[in-house]
Amino acid sequence: MKGARAWMAVLAATLLLAPLLAERGTLNDLWNVAFAVVLASAWNLLGGFAGQISLGYSAFVGIGAYTTVLLADAGWNPWLTLPVAAALAVLFSVVVGLPTFRLRGPYFSIATIGVGEAVRVIASGMEFTGGSSGLRMPSADFHFLSNYYGMAVLALLTVGVMAYVRGQAFGLALSAIRQDIDAAEALGIPSTRYKLLAHALSAALVGTAGGLFAMNFQYISPGSVFDFRLSLSIVLMPIVGGIGTLVGPVLGAVLFSYLQIKLLASPTLRDSYLFIYGGLLMLVMLFEPHGMVGLWERLVQLGRRAGRPVAGAPRGG
Amino acid sequence: MSSLRVEAIDVFYGDVQAVWNISFQVEAGEIVTLVGANGAGKTTTLRTLAGLLRPRAGHILFDGKDVAGLPANELVARGIVLIPEARQLWPGMSVRDNLEMGAYTRAARAERHRTMQSVLEMFPILQKRLTQNAGTLSGGEQQMCAIGRGLMARPRLLMLDEPALGLAPMLVRQVFAALKEINGRGVTLLLVEQNVQHALRLAHRAYVLETGRVTLEGTGAALMDDARVRQRFLGEAGL
Repeated sequence: MKGARAWMAVLAATLLLAPLLAERGTLNDLWNVAFAVVLASAWNLLGGFAGQISLGYSAFVGIGAYTTVLLADAGWNPWLTLPVAAALAVLFSVVVGLPTFRLRGPYFSIATIGVGEAVRVIASGMEFTGGSSGLRMPSADFHFLSNYYGMAVLALLTVGVMAYVRGQAFGLALSAIRQDIDAAEALGIPSTRYKLLAHALSAALVGTAGGLFAMNFQYISPGSVFDFRLSLSIVLMPIVGGIGTLVGPVLGAVLFSYLQIKLLASPTLRDSYLFIYGGLLMLVMLFEPHGMVGLWERLVQLGRRAGRPVAGAPRGG
Repeated sequence: MSSLRVEAIDVFYGDVQAVWNISFQVEAGEIVTLVGANGAGKTTTLRTLAGLLRPRAGHILFDGKDVAGLPANELVARGIVLIPEARQLWPGMSVRDNLEMGAYTRAARAERHRTMQSVLEMFPILQKRLTQNAGTLSGGEQQMCAIGRGLMARPRLLMLDEPALGLAPMLVRQVFAALKEINGRGVTLLLVEQNVQHALRLAHRAYVLETGRVTLEGTGAALMDDARVRQRFLGEAGL
């Protein structure tokens, strides 16, 4: 827990102080990191804490992004669209959650793939969403730096919310649902209500991030915000980093954004990033199911074991 | 007062009927046991009473009110608590957190410190294990923890599904002694057990279930002496 606090302080200092020191290009990269931290940490609430692996989270990014663009088109101040983006994502999370949370384990995951794809197909086919060619934000003055701070604060808020939830009865209940849902129900924990709540809370955060995404990129399409590969990345980041932990999703998000930036810059590797993610995922599942956090803990333990004889030496000698 | 009347319930898994027209009752303060072989419908009956399954027909009256089809959390709030088969603790949580989460309903939460005290008095071994993960406990300790977790909900009717399953004989005796003590504190018990001898000795009354139907009922002592029971469940050779 103390270790987690130190990691979080590093994250907060990096994100908030970077604009004083870094170039625009670096800040762009950090914006991507913050965006990934929001997605991975928020997903981790439902997927990691409660153990419900959803493969449809791009739907929340997309709903947030489309809400922001459509309302901005209608003359709204983009910042004021964010609460609406969050609210619609929450509404959608409940509509989807009510039927899908009746399913367990892989059946739930498969159903969420269907939901995510359905939303993408609908967005590609409707007129008011601009079909498959997407939508453009109305041209207005756009301040990258305020958007950057918006995303940075949202990332820190997300991690803060997760740290808070984990210590509450709500967090324990989610953990009980993950570890043995039958026992949880037998003792009167209303599991469906809690899953819906976790889903809604993480949808609100992801929907807001989607709105900020639209503001930053000025242009969205079903292929960018409703992409299944986005849903997949959202799942892979916390798993590679350390599912169900506080720090894991953040580490995964940093690693993935770094990889993506590097890979996108290289013409030969541009299309291979999912291949590399897949490889990473297999390594994690085979060798370290607790991801980078587990690896770190193992290293710390090794270090301690190696350090012990030295520390005890004076007494022995 | 917390009496349970089960009136002619049918329970299905999909299209397969597991419980056929079962009726029985548990009076306030009683220990009642349902005995029967594998597949007789004992666990299904308990899960239905706990709200984890819905009966397709029949009534379940608890303190005179029909509670059939209510969700599990509502039933726990009314005092009906199931300790599921095979313990089903949350293995990655400490013993303390397991117990705390048992006191989930508002009324139980308010009393949780006092309840925890009495649970730890009943099972002193748990005191030493409080900070340990429940997954690291021995089988017997896990069962004590599971019973303790059930008690944390402050049940009026406590249902136990095979609490002696897989335990060494000495631990079985310990568990049954604990059940007697719990009953002595005013908790009504409904017990499902394959260890028929122990169960009949403990119970005031018992029902025998076979292929989803009640085939015999009587006091524990009477069923112990019943030739059919002795032959079927107590391993006595018949002709």
